[in-house]
Amino acid sequence: MNNPKKIVLIDYGMGNTWSVISAIKYLGFDCELSNSIEKISNADYIILPGVGSFKKGIQNLKDLGLFTLLKNKKFLKDKKILGICLGFQLLGISSTEEGYENGLNLIPLKVDKFKFNVNDLKIPHIGFNSVHFHSKDKLFLGLKNESDFYFVHSYRFRYDSLQGFIAYCNYGEKFIAAYHKDNIYGTQFHPEKSQNNGLILLKNFFEI
Amino acid sequence: MLKKRLIFTLLYDSGYFSLSRNFRLQRVGNLKWLKENYNFEYISRYIDELIVLDVSKEKRDIKKFSNTLKELTEKIFVPIASGGGIRKFEHAKILLDSGADKVIMNTSIFKDNDLISKLSSEFGRQCIVGSLDIKKEKDGYHFYISNGKECVKKSIDQIDNILKQCPLGEIILHSIDRDGTGQGYDLDSLSLINKEINIPIIISGGAGNSKHFIEGLSHDMVDAASSSHLFNFVGDGLKKAREKAIENNVLLAKW
Repeated sequence: MNNPKKIVLIDYGMGNTWSVISAIKYLGFDCELSNSIEKISNADYIILPGVGSFKKGIQNLKDLGLFTLLKNKKFLKDKKILGICLGFQLLGISSTEEGYENGLNLIPLKVDKFKFNVNDLKIPHIGFNSVHFHSKDKLFLGLKNESDFYFVHSYRFRYDSLQGFIAYCNYGEKFIAAYHKDNIYGTQFHPEKSQNNGLILLKNFFEI
Repeated sequence: MLKKRLIFTLLYDSGYFSLSRNFRLQRVGNLKWLKENYNFEYISRYIDELIVLDVSKEKRDIKKFSNTLKELTEKIFVPIASGGGIRKFEHAKILLDSGADKVIMNTSIFKDNDLISKLSSEFGRQCIVGSLDIKKEKDGYHFYISNGKECVKKSIDQIDNILKQCPLGEIILHSIDRDGTGQGYDLDSLSLINKEINIPIIISGGAGNSKHFIEGLSHDMVDAASSSHLFNFVGDGLKKAREKAIENNVLLAKW
């Protein structure tokens, strides 16, 4: 590659960075794990991973001086950002996990706990579940509609027909599985944990 | 639809992967062996999840274990749960930084609930898997901790209360008396888990062939079935078991 893509995975102490790095390297891309403002500023692709609680995630971003940086749409203008699982939720307006907390406000919807009347459905929602694509987004290139991806979460963006919600999943209720609008991307599932389906999706993201 | 999960469990004993029978270990090979002769990368394409447990009988070395975990999981793109000997917050953190998505807790459920609460508020309860080692004895079921060495002296009702209050995301129900026997899962033991607990259950201990997986996964209380038998599912064993389960209408993911 003449012009290698600069990929930065944000290191903010919220877990599973090793798996994401491994997947990116397996696809043949270089990737740096960092929380330096300078390195993130120079990136073409930013990944915000995450396992853990919303409140703690926001707190860690604030402590590192990354909260105001990532909130700024102008800063992200020439970059693409992908939030995974908790990282996806952090892009929203707010969450009610462990008390109310404001998010990065890049996605115009709030995060809430699953709410359904089906008594025997278990929370957390853990395992592979089919993802229904409702637009032909480039992120899904080469993937069949209703492909299986791995989820592990108790909170979600409730289904909404707002622009940008490109896929949903069904678990007692419809919720948002994937998002893309302009340069902001997010998946509630873990592509780095979804066998070949996830690798295809990640590759698509870096080739957009 | 949410799919059921086929899980493979690797047992690590001071640098070696091992077979276990009723918690007695037999070393099989190290990481190099696992990668070369066992072609673990290929095998991992046919499972939904991997569990890696440090069951070392001698003094545990979490650094060495986590380095093995890191190397092992480099080309494996499924969820990974890991544990064995987690007694401090830092132990869990090391594993989560080395490829694990979830940590497996056993002894602390009964002896150090504060540790589990702390881990849960930091990483979310979906990150905490409670492993219950059980044994069917003449007078009924008993729960064990500390690598199966110590019996929990509590009634089923008391244990039920402990589990209700413990912030777990999943439960592994592992039968010590079926462990490594290949006689099939102890599905009766599922009655030990109160339905009100309502978190995913992984049944473990005793799977010897694909029929056992199908029996386990077809049970309505079971979300996932695990095997740790390195030889019963060698080569195409897991691939075939998966295909057989799908043929028998077990809902499994496809990729």
